[in-house]
Amino acid sequence: MAEFSASVYQNEFLPDGGTDVHAIVTVSCSGAGSAGQTGSGDAGEIIIVDTSGSMGAEGVRAAAFAAQTALDQILDGVWFAVISGNDRAQLAFPPSPEPVMVKMDQFTRRAAKDAVARFFADGGTAMGTWLRLASRVFATVPSLTQKHALLLTDGENQHESPEVLTQTIEAVTGQFQCDCRGVGVAWQVNEVRRIATALLGTVDIIPAPDQLAAEFSKIIQNAMSKGVAQADMRVWAPQGAQVLFVRQVAPTVDDLTSRRTEVNALTGAYPTGSWGDESRDYHVAIRLAAKGIGQEQLAARVQLAIGSDVVAQGLVRALWSEDEALTTRISPEVAHYTGQTELADAIQEGLAAKAAGDTATATTKLGRAVQLAAQTGNEEATTRLRKVVDIDDQDNGTVRLKRTVEKADEMALDTASTKTTRVKK
Amino acid sequence: MTSTTQTVCPSCGGPISQADHFCEACGAELTPATPATPAIDTDTEPTVELNPAAARGAEAAPGPCRSCGGTIGPDGYCETCGTKATKPRDHFSEQPAPWVAAVCDRGIRHSRNEDAVAIAADPEPGSRALLVVCDGVSSSLDSDVASLAAARAARDVLEAGNAQGMGTESSRISAVVARLKAAADAASDAVLANTSPDSPNPASCTFVATVLEGDLLVAGVVGDSRAYWFPDNAEAVALTVDDSWAAELIATGVPRHEAETGPQAHAITRWLGKDAPDHTPRTTSMKVVGPGWLMACSDGLWNYCSEAAPLADLTRQTAAAHNGDPLATASALVDWANAQGGQDNITVALARI
Repeated sequence: MAEFSASVYQNEFLPDGGTDVHAIVTVSCSGAGSAGQTGSGDAGEIIIVDTSGSMGAEGVRAAAFAAQTALDQILDGVWFAVISGNDRAQLAFPPSPEPVMVKMDQFTRRAAKDAVARFFADGGTAMGTWLRLASRVFATVPSLTQKHALLLTDGENQHESPEVLTQTIEAVTGQFQCDCRGVGVAWQVNEVRRIATALLGTVDIIPAPDQLAAEFSKIIQNAMSKGVAQADMRVWAPQGAQVLFVRQVAPTVDDLTSRRTEVNALTGAYPTGSWGDESRDYHVAIRLAAKGIGQEQLAARVQLAIGSDVVAQGLVRALWSEDEALTTRISPEVAHYTGQTELADAIQEGLAAKAAGDTATATTKLGRAVQLAAQTGNEEATTRLRKVVDIDDQDNGTVRLKRTVEKADEMALDTASTKTTRVKK
Repeated sequence: MTSTTQTVCPSCGGPISQADHFCEACGAELTPATPATPAIDTDTEPTVELNPAAARGAEAAPGPCRSCGGTIGPDGYCETCGTKATKPRDHFSEQPAPWVAAVCDRGIRHSRNEDAVAIAADPEPGSRALLVVCDGVSSSLDSDVASLAAARAARDVLEAGNAQGMGTESSRISAVVARLKAAADAASDAVLANTSPDSPNPASCTFVATVLEGDLLVAGVVGDSRAYWFPDNAEAVALTVDDSWAAELIATGVPRHEAETGPQAHAITRWLGKDAPDHTPRTTSMKVVGPGWLMACSDGLWNYCSEAAPLADLTRQTAAAHNGDPLATASALVDWANAQGGQDNITVALARI
C-alpha cells in the first residue's frame, strides 16, 4: 500500500503588513508497487513511433528496435498498443481498423514485436493525429486508471497548423500522460515540450538513433514503477486569500497554477499524474490579508489526494511578528527553488533570443543563467551552459555566446532547462 | 525544543541561561530559530483540565471559529478563514456568582497563557468573595500548568475556611491572614507537584489572593500580581506592593513610570516555586465602607495602567459601559489590554461590592 508524507519548509514569520507566504512542500511516496498491480484499476501503455519519411530506413530500423525493447519492459497484464505516425496515425498493433488494445502476455508481445519490425519510413509529420488516435485507443478500455504513452518524433510538425496541434493538446489533456522524445536535431523543442508539459510528461533529446533503445527501456521501466495511477495536489487557502502560484519545482519545474480545478470555493486541485516511490517538491505562494502583530493563521493546507481521499497534508502558516531577526530570515528551500525556477526561465528565454538573432538579450539571459546555476549549485546546468557560452565571470554572469555550437548541445540545454537540483538539506 | 547558545537577551541585552524560553528581564521570547521541519504547535497542552466536561466536549467537537464562526478543522485551524483555534487554556472565564467574575487570556504576544485565576463567591452580593491570580514565570518550564494548579489549590484552601462571626475584628483579621498563608503554602505545594525534580528551570509563579468577608477585605501577595480596591465615592487603593525590582526602585525614590519601564522592570524578587527563597504572602487588610470594585489582576493588565487612580477610572468607565456586569467588565478590560498591545498574558478578576 502506497504511503505518502508531506513536509513543509518556510519562514512563517511575516513583518507588520506582510501579505505573501511562500513555502516548499516536499511530498514523498513509498510502497507504490507497480503499474496495474495494486488493485485500483488497470494500466495502459501506448508506444507512438514517428515513421515519417525523414526518419529514413536506418532511423525507422533503430526506432523499431527501440520499440521492441520497450515492449519487453511492459509488464504482463498491462493493456498496450503501438501507433506508427506520419502525417496521419495508424494503429500498428493490435492490427485492427478500429481502435483497440490488448493485454500483454508472451503471445501478444511476440506479435507486437513482429508488427513493429514491419515499420517503414514514409510521409510527413502531424503529431496531433497521433495524440488523437492514442486518446481513442485508451478510451476503448474503461478499466484503465493509469494511461501512459511514449512518443518519439524526429521532425517539425509540418503537416498540421500550430492551432490544430494546440486544439488537440487541449482535447487530450487529462486523458493520458505522455513522455516525449526527439531523435536527432530537426525537431522543435518548444513544440514537443508543449505536448509533454500538458500531458504531465518529460521531454528530452536523443541525439543519435543508436541511443533510442536504452532510453525507451528506461522510460517504460519508469512508467511501470508507478503503482499509484493518479493523484492530485490540493491547495486550500483561507477565504479572501489568493493563491499566487503552485509550482512543481523538483525534479523539474512545472507551473501548475493554471491547471486548477475547483474542489470547493477555497480548495483547488492540480493534477500530478501517477506516482512511484519518489519525492517531489512544490512551491506554493499565497497572498493573505495582513493581520496584527502576534497573530497566527493558516495560509494553506497543501494536500495530496487520491480520488477524494487526502493521503498527506502539510500546513503552511503565517505569523506576524515585529522581530526583524525572524521576519527577514529567508527560507533556504524557498530561495533555492526560486533561483532554480528563474534559471529555467533564463535558459529558455536566452535560447529563444539567440534563435531570433537577438545576441544582446541572449547574452544577458544566458549570463544570468550561468550565475544562477552557480549560485544554486546546479552543476549539470553549468556543464550544459558551457557548451553554448564561454564564461568570463561565473559569479557576475559575464558570458560570450560561442561562435559555433553543436545544435544537439543547444537542444539538450533547452530540454534540460527545467531539471532542478534538490536543495542541500 | 532546540537549545540556544546565546547568553544575552537579543532584546534588552540582559543575561539569560541556555534553558530560558523568555528573558527574565524584559520577557522577550527567546525561542531560537524555528525547527527545520516546522512543528505545527509546539505548545505543551496543560495537564490540568480547565473544566473536565467542557474540555472533553471541546475535543469531540471544537466550537466555531472565534474569528468568522466557521468550523475548526482537525488540524486546529478554521476551515474557512484559517484562524488558529484558541485552546481552552488560552482564554477562559469564571463567574461563581453574578457579582464576581474573572477572565484569563493569553494576550497577543505570548504563545502560551501562563496566567491563571481561580475564584469563589457566595450568592449574596457583597457577602463573601475569594479571588486568586497566579502569573506563571515565563522563563520557567510548565508554568502554565503550575500556575493553574496553584491558583486552584489556594482558592480551595480559602474556600474551606470561614471566619465570619468569630471573635473580634483583629482576631478575624489574624484568622484570614493565617488562611492566606495556608493558601500560599498550598499553591506552592501545587507548583512543586508540577515540577519535575531534575528540571533545569523549575516552574514558578506569582500569587495574589483577596478575601472579602462582609466588611473585611484582606489581600496577600507574593510577586507582582496585584489587588486594588476602587470605591465608588472615595480614592482608589492599591492593596498590594509588588515584590519586584521596580518596586524596590520606587521605594528608593525612582518615579514609578521610570522604574516600571526600565530593563529590569519585570524581574520579581519573590515567587512560588522550587527555587523560591520565601513564599509568605505580605498581607494588607481594610474595612470596606460603601460600594466599589475589588480587583485582582496580573501585570498583563497593570502594565498599561499601573497607578490606582487611573486604573480605577478605567474600571468604572468600563463597568458603566457594560451595565456594571462583572464578567462583561473583566472581559472588556482584557480586550482593552490586548488593544494596548497584549504584550503579556492578561488576567482580571472583579467583585462588585
